[in-house]
Amino acid sequence: MPAVGRIKIRVPHSIARGQVIPVEVLVTHPMETGLRKGKDGKVIPAYFINNVDIYYGSDRITHCDWTIAVSANPFMTFYVKAEKAAPIKIVYKDNKGGVYEQAVQINPS
Amino acid sequence: MSRLGRVLVMLVCAFGALTAGAWRYALAADEAAPQIKEYKPNISAREYEKRYNAVYGKYTEQMAEEGNPADFMLDDGKDLFSKVEGSAGKSCASCHGANGEKLKGAAAGFPKYDPATKGINTVALQINRCREDHMGAAPLKYESYDQLALDLYVKSLSNGVPIKVSIDGPARPFYEAGKAYYYKRHGQFNFSCALCHVKYSGHMMRANLLSNNRHHADHWPSYRLKWAGTGSLQRRFRGCNKNVRQKPLPFECETYRDLQLYLTYQANGLPIQVPGFKM
Repeated sequence: MPAVGRIKIRVPHSIARGQVIPVEVLVTHPMETGLRKGKDGKVIPAYFINNVDIYYGSDRITHCDWTIAVSANPFMTFYVKAEKAAPIKIVYKDNKGGVYEQAVQINPS
Repeated sequence: MSRLGRVLVMLVCAFGALTAGAWRYALAADEAAPQIKEYKPNISAREYEKRYNAVYGKYTEQMAEEGNPADFMLDDGKDLFSKVEGSAGKSCASCHGANGEKLKGAAAGFPKYDPATKGINTVALQINRCREDHMGAAPLKYESYDQLALDLYVKSLSNGVPIKVSIDGPARPFYEAGKAYYYKRHGQFNFSCALCHVKYSGHMMRANLLSNNRHHADHWPSYRLKWAGTGSLQRRFRGCNKNVRQKPLPFECETYRDLQLYLTYQANGLPIQVPGFKM
């Protein structure tokens, strides 16, 4: 079944300590705006991710407020300075109370 | 002979000559009837490439590399491949190898003529027939998530293999039928597929560049930004039919299968790349 909130995170294979690495994240979500009408003529209720938290180890390194303007199945890239061996965790929260999270371990050599 | 008689004879001769000519003309028209006059593209392939890059660039390729949402579906398809279903207690993997080893390159020959049904067989149809005949399971509903996932996985086993569709022998009439559909005008707008995708390919239709049919069939099922989801080539056919205000046909009907054969033949020699990523 087409599940909502499946996450795929991609980081470089080998990371040097102190290197700035790109982290690419893809999440499946319909991101319904609440402005569209279905085939029956009724408004499709809004359903979108409005809150993104990114943790590196125990620190929250950044936070995003998303709105209906973000596309379906959003993809984002951000850059992190790999200073310690710790997991990068991404937490998505949507307006219907769904919480989707996934972590990837960073091991700079 | 009177003057009137001479005129009459002349008239009869003229009429005879005329009818003979008309008859010959009619015969020639009859012979030419099954031959469809193919369009020639208005612009060269090189010019098309140039215009395509000017409009789309490498954006879709780049987005596909970054992350194709259809990859999740591919993973599900892999799970479904080894899932036991039906009365025979078998899964796809029990005949075709654990990771589909025996199906590598198989999808490159599809769609192809099937003597059992005396028709064209697509991958989706073949999967459903396998389920019914060998697994004893219910056929999957076309365009449902599971059906697309399985179709996607089976095709992905042939990724990189050049498409090699044969139209020789019994497949020929079906190819011709597909071609006839491609060149026939449809719908309220009175467009044929070939008009846009052969003759005027490379021209702008409002904000869209009309694409060439060479690359139409090598990447399905694809993720499409417009759908925000993954769909098959036949879903795209239905979308095109609706665009010209024609009533779309059901999935895997005979016409669409013939059309798929025609389009896939145009892509012969290109490597299969699934899942695709399109605008």
